[in-house]
Amino acid sequence: MTDPSPARILHLSSTAVGPDVLRITVRGELDVDSAAEFQDAVTEHLAARSGLRALRVDCGGLVLCDSMGLSALLMVHRRTTALGVSLHLEERPPALDRLLAVTGTLDHLTAPPAAAASTPPSS
Amino acid sequence: MVNSAERSADNAWSDAALHAAPYPVLVADPVGTVRRANEAFGLLVPDAVEGSALCEVLPDWLLLAHDRLSAAPAPHAPPPRGEVAGRSFEAHATRLPEGEVVWWLTDDTDVRLAERRLLQERNRTAFLARASNELLSSLNLDRCMEVAGRLAAAHLADAAVVIAPPRGRALSVVSADGTGAHSRQLTGVAPESVPGLAEALRGFPPVPSRWIDPAAAPEWLVPEDFGPVGAMVVTPLPGHGVPAGALVLLRRAHHAAFSESEESFARLFAARAGAAMSAARLYAEQAQITETLMRELLPPRVGQVGGVEFAARYRAAKDGERVGGDFYDIHPAAAPQDESLVVLGDVCGKGLDAAVLTGKIRNTLHALLPLSGDHVRMLRLLNGALLSSHHTRFATLVMASARRRADRVELRVTCAGHPAPLVVRADGRVAEVETHGNLVGVLPEIDAVTAPLILAPGESLVLFTDGITESKGGPLGDELFGDARLRRALAHCAGMPAEAVAEHVQMLATEWVGVNKHDDMAVVTVTAPRGSSRRAPGGTPTEGHGA
Repeated sequence: MTDPSPARILHLSSTAVGPDVLRITVRGELDVDSAAEFQDAVTEHLAARSGLRALRVDCGGLVLCDSMGLSALLMVHRRTTALGVSLHLEERPPALDRLLAVTGTLDHLTAPPAAAASTPPSS
Repeated sequence: MVNSAERSADNAWSDAALHAAPYPVLVADPVGTVRRANEAFGLLVPDAVEGSALCEVLPDWLLLAHDRLSAAPAPHAPPPRGEVAGRSFEAHATRLPEGEVVWWLTDDTDVRLAERRLLQERNRTAFLARASNELLSSLNLDRCMEVAGRLAAAHLADAAVVIAPPRGRALSVVSADGTGAHSRQLTGVAPESVPGLAEALRGFPPVPSRWIDPAAAPEWLVPEDFGPVGAMVVTPLPGHGVPAGALVLLRRAHHAAFSESEESFARLFAARAGAAMSAARLYAEQAQITETLMRELLPPRVGQVGGVEFAARYRAAKDGERVGGDFYDIHPAAAPQDESLVVLGDVCGKGLDAAVLTGKIRNTLHALLPLSGDHVRMLRLLNGALLSSHHTRFATLVMASARRRADRVELRVTCAGHPAPLVVRADGRVAEVETHGNLVGVLPEIDAVTAPLILAPGESLVLFTDGITESKGGPLGDELFGDARLRRALAHCAGMPAEAVAEHVQMLATEWVGVNKHDDMAVVTVTAPRGSSRRAPGGTPTEGHGA
């Protein structure tokens, strides 16, 4: 069960859906080993495109998301909120929905930007 | 036949050739005297004039070679070598038909010097490689200092003293004098008492090796029975950005002082010794930090408090990280009528970051205990204390306040982003406690719903981390233990004491994962004792297992 198989390795691909909308497709496992990589990659995309209005993350191929994966999603949300970009977690597998529901982060991560316009703490 | 005119012409020619030869040349006649010596030879051995006895003018090694040559000619023997007038020569012999021997000397001083240097360099390289191996074979600082001292005394000087950077007032010193190394702790000795030592121990800015006047060396620096010191040099031991210490090399009075090449070689050795010592020091510090954290994080002992049974089981993940992300705490009620608070949590991530966050949460909750009458307020304050703009590390937790009321236990249970705990009823029904809330540490605002709960005798509340339900194993090794399996298992636990319930859950999960990799697994049970255990409320934790 710990064999590294291609399906488990995190794979990201990005497509510009429109002039101000970017879609990032996530496949594989978003976990303690790949969370930082995911976070960095998305941060780079955000930095590379000014004027972005929406970031759509296609989670359909996400086979696992652990607590570090959730932490990375929360950081991505914090970044998009700060930039005024709306974040959409699309095609969420049931396991991800369950994780977001149990941890009480579903509303936070999926609310429209106006409702989630909470600024990150600046301590 | 050759006539005399021809002969003298021959002589004139050979004389000219002899004197023009670019090498010192000597012609010895069969009776053991000098027949001829050219100017170059005369410069080396002024006494070697025509007619002088070989045994009086030639250096011993050449005389010996000459005697051997006439006794038993050995054409393939290597040419003899030796010194003349402070330089090194190789001597080549040519035998003339009339029994005379011509010795040609070729100067190989530079070749010999180069050979010696090459050999020395090889030895030094081999020594440095061996030293690195020996120095790095232990991560124990004392052992490392002893190895450094012993090697330095054996290869670099007559004695060596390795000094670690001071800790407090004590200076840790290892002296080695070739017979072995021994260490000492010196208190009240100021590094300033040795010129250059304080600078070398500071490590920054880098200082060069420094010669000290042996007379200025304090007594503690010189090994016992060493005798008069001839030369002494202080070399800093460079570490990985931290001062690693200093090396003092000593030579006895009758030995040559340190040459420039020996000094630079000593610096190469010092670099290796310093790297090994600072690695050992960093490791020791790291191990101490981990140990301190572990001691702090060790799950508390639990038992019966105020007529309420508590039990806990914890199994750390087996993947090398010693500090895991699960934790629990039980804060016993101060008085019998008060509530005890139990907290079970799961911090995201592992290792030092997780340990620090865990410590922060436990300390904050402890400080907020007076507010435990309102779980949601407590969680909001905790959330505010954990928020950081630098990261989104979070924790999920569940807390339960419990107190005994007659034979029942009254509870308030609140989940903050954590899997809801399960309640095991006396008839074997298992239900989820209806509480939910946001995780703590990331969201600017959080909310939670506290559920009231009453346990009849023999009923239990079971708090667990997802390490239990998400452990993978089973017959095929890749199946989740899952909520359903946990509920079925708990259905058999109706009427059991808290200890037995916790043990049962832990045992099943452990069996389920088998040898598989697993996350931290923690379970805490709160049980209303059955009728027989009529203990006086207000007891203190007495028994149970911590881990």
